[in-house]
Amino acid sequence: MITRRDLIKWGMVAPALAAGSQAAFAAAPQGLDALLVDERFPFDDAPLHAGVPVMRFAGDVTRVWYEVLDARWRERGFVLGGITGSDALFVLETLATHQGRRVVTRTPLAEPDARGVAPVSWVIAPHHPSVAA
Amino acid sequence: MATPPNMSAADFADGLSAMRSAVGADWVFDQPADLNTYRDFYSVLWGEPEEKVASAAVAPANVEEVQQVVRIANERRIPIYPISTGRNLGYGGSAPVLSGSVVLDLKRMNRVIEVNEDNCSCLVEPGVSFFDMYRHLQESGSKLMMSVPDPGWGSLVGNALDSGGGYTVQGYRGHFEAVCGIEAVMADGELFRTGMGALPGSETWQQYRMGIGPCMDGLFRQSTLGVVTKMGFWMFPRPEAWLSASVSVMRYEDLEELVRIANELEYGNIFNGMPGFSSPVLTQGNPIVMAMVPDAAEMNRMVEESGIPAWSFSPNFYGPEKVIRAQWEYVQSRFAHIPGVRFAEQSFVDLPISAEDMERIHKPRFGIPSLEIFNVGSRGYGDFNPSDGHIWFSAVIPRSGKGIIDANRVMRRECERLGLDLFMFAPAVTCWTRSFVLFAAVPVYKDPARNQHLREAVREIIDICAEHGWGEYRCPPAFMDDVMGAYSFGDHKLRRVNEAIKDALDPNGILSAGRYGVWPKHLREGRGA
Ligand SMILES: Cc1cc2nc3c(=O)[nH]c(=O)nc-3n(C[C@H](O)[C@H](O)[C@H](O)COP(=O)(O)OP(=O)(O)OC[C@H]3O[C@@H](n4cnc5c(N)ncnc54)[C@H](O)[C@@H]3O)c2cc1C
Repeated sequence: MITRRDLIKWGMVAPALAAGSQAAFAAAPQGLDALLVDERFPFDDAPLHAGVPVMRFAGDVTRVWYEVLDARWRERGFVLGGITGSDALFVLETLATHQGRRVVTRTPLAEPDARGVAPVSWVIAPHHPSVAA
Repeated sequence: MATPPNMSAADFADGLSAMRSAVGADWVFDQPADLNTYRDFYSVLWGEPEEKVASAAVAPANVEEVQQVVRIANERRIPIYPISTGRNLGYGGSAPVLSGSVVLDLKRMNRVIEVNEDNCSCLVEPGVSFFDMYRHLQESGSKLMMSVPDPGWGSLVGNALDSGGGYTVQGYRGHFEAVCGIEAVMADGELFRTGMGALPGSETWQQYRMGIGPCMDGLFRQSTLGVVTKMGFWMFPRPEAWLSASVSVMRYEDLEELVRIANELEYGNIFNGMPGFSSPVLTQGNPIVMAMVPDAAEMNRMVEESGIPAWSFSPNFYGPEKVIRAQWEYVQSRFAHIPGVRFAEQSFVDLPISAEDMERIHKPRFGIPSLEIFNVGSRGYGDFNPSDGHIWFSAVIPRSGKGIIDANRVMRRECERLGLDLFMFAPAVTCWTRSFVLFAAVPVYKDPARNQHLREAVREIIDICAEHGWGEYRCPPAFMDDVMGAYSFGDHKLRRVNEAIKDALDPNGILSAGRYGVWPKHLREGRGA
């Protein structure tokens, strides 16, 4: 079960990711087990190398989910942060929900483009007792 | 808390408490945040009072728990709505047809019970997704190939039960066509097995579909009669190679002959992959959106000016290279008499697929699950944004050149008149062997006024199609009554027979109420309203 404390912690992480500041990223490792970056959106993620493993993809989440996230989401724990398109987040959220997880915070980073897709920073955390840390 | 129709909060709470005892408190969900995940994100009723929503969800871990939940529901007349993985986006998502039903979420029952390499078959539980099965086949070094729909996150069982389709081989890609053997929990909680599964000790459950007497598998397709807990499927031995080719013709008038010969070749097993039919000259803007077919003179003029063919047929072949090349050669010989005909080999792939080929292929053609379709812009889907949503409109039309042209013109004309947007329009999809299905993706909104217009327009289109003898093979819940209503032969005998079976097998009307227009007796008059 996600506690209020967790929510506050992750609630701060997503906007921090959004802000992209060095200090914010320094705080991220405390809350995140990994970060997922959608390379369709130009983004300076150099500061992210300070501790949190970074996974990359470009729009299609199939490979990263099948090769990494599916297994990690079957285990307990694993808090994932991300900066992705809203289209990719829709897919990840659906998959995460099925595995007892929730998007606990999301922050749009820009206005949607003509197709309605916007970059979003977010955190997906375990929610159901069967996967809670 | 939402409650099922005509049920007091106290009775419902008592039912949920019994269900908690059966499956464990962690697996009964009745909080708004949990129930939100069972909404249909592509609902045409989004945010309106009529939106179809669950009152609770229950996730049993095994058949015994399913039986207990069904018995509890039956004793208390609580409506339940089974889903497998609940990814039926475009056709209802994981929401029930009757608002207030308890969703019976079978995702935890995700065992691949058997893959029989010699029999080329499998037996699975409902929560097994296409990805799960693919992983199982990969890890076990299987020589079998499965058929998958475009998004691979759904389940073999749920997809087949809704009559879903894939893109591989004849007899397998119409997913219910490949089903052999079903186990279901009936409304009284008893366990039922179809076909040879009814014979204790039989080893032929996944070999001979019929068993004795009427073939019962069909009772569970798009139905309200049971909770399917196991399903067998025939699988295709992984072929050595795949070849995709095209036959293009340069005149409006050639379509009839093109389809007629293609049909004969497919029905004669000269090619076994899913054929494509299109009009290159009318899909110049977007390969999956075909413009209105103009009259013959206009179309022939367009072809002459652009040099782009009027029509194309793409046969696909799975098998040993030597065999499929010979088949392709024979196919060409059958069309050679058409003036100006052009032949092209589009693609050849050796299996198992190399890393390089993996990057360029449409994975579902090879039974490889993928979520690529949700990536905006993938495979020419243009402006498709998965988080906005759409519904599928999918009518069965005659498998002929005239069928394609008539359906195209009627749909194009009527959609324009009604102001109905389409972001995909493919007039001849052939997932289901021997039929053409006209496919249109209609955008859905989060705005009730726009959705109301959309609903009215779609209802009108359903009626117009019915006037032409075209009926939908599948549809979202908001239109199920309308679609079933169109199958009206013999004063709606089809619906009445379904209702009689429903009354006999589920007298308390607890299972999947309203699915495909079949309502239990006590809700029949208001059709769940
Ligand atoms: C972009 C896009 C592309 C798509 N492409 C395709 C495609 O190529 N082919 C295709 O077929 N579909 C396609 N779909 C539709 C849909 O996503 C898939 O069919 C999906 O596999 C269905 O979801 P599911 O497998 O989770 O089934 P579920 O949602 O679990 O089941 C579907 C329905 O079957 C019934 N049901 C399920 N399980 C049981 C059970 N155990 N007992 C009794 N009744 C049950 C329920 O009424 C349920 O609502 C597409 C959708 C989108 C959004």
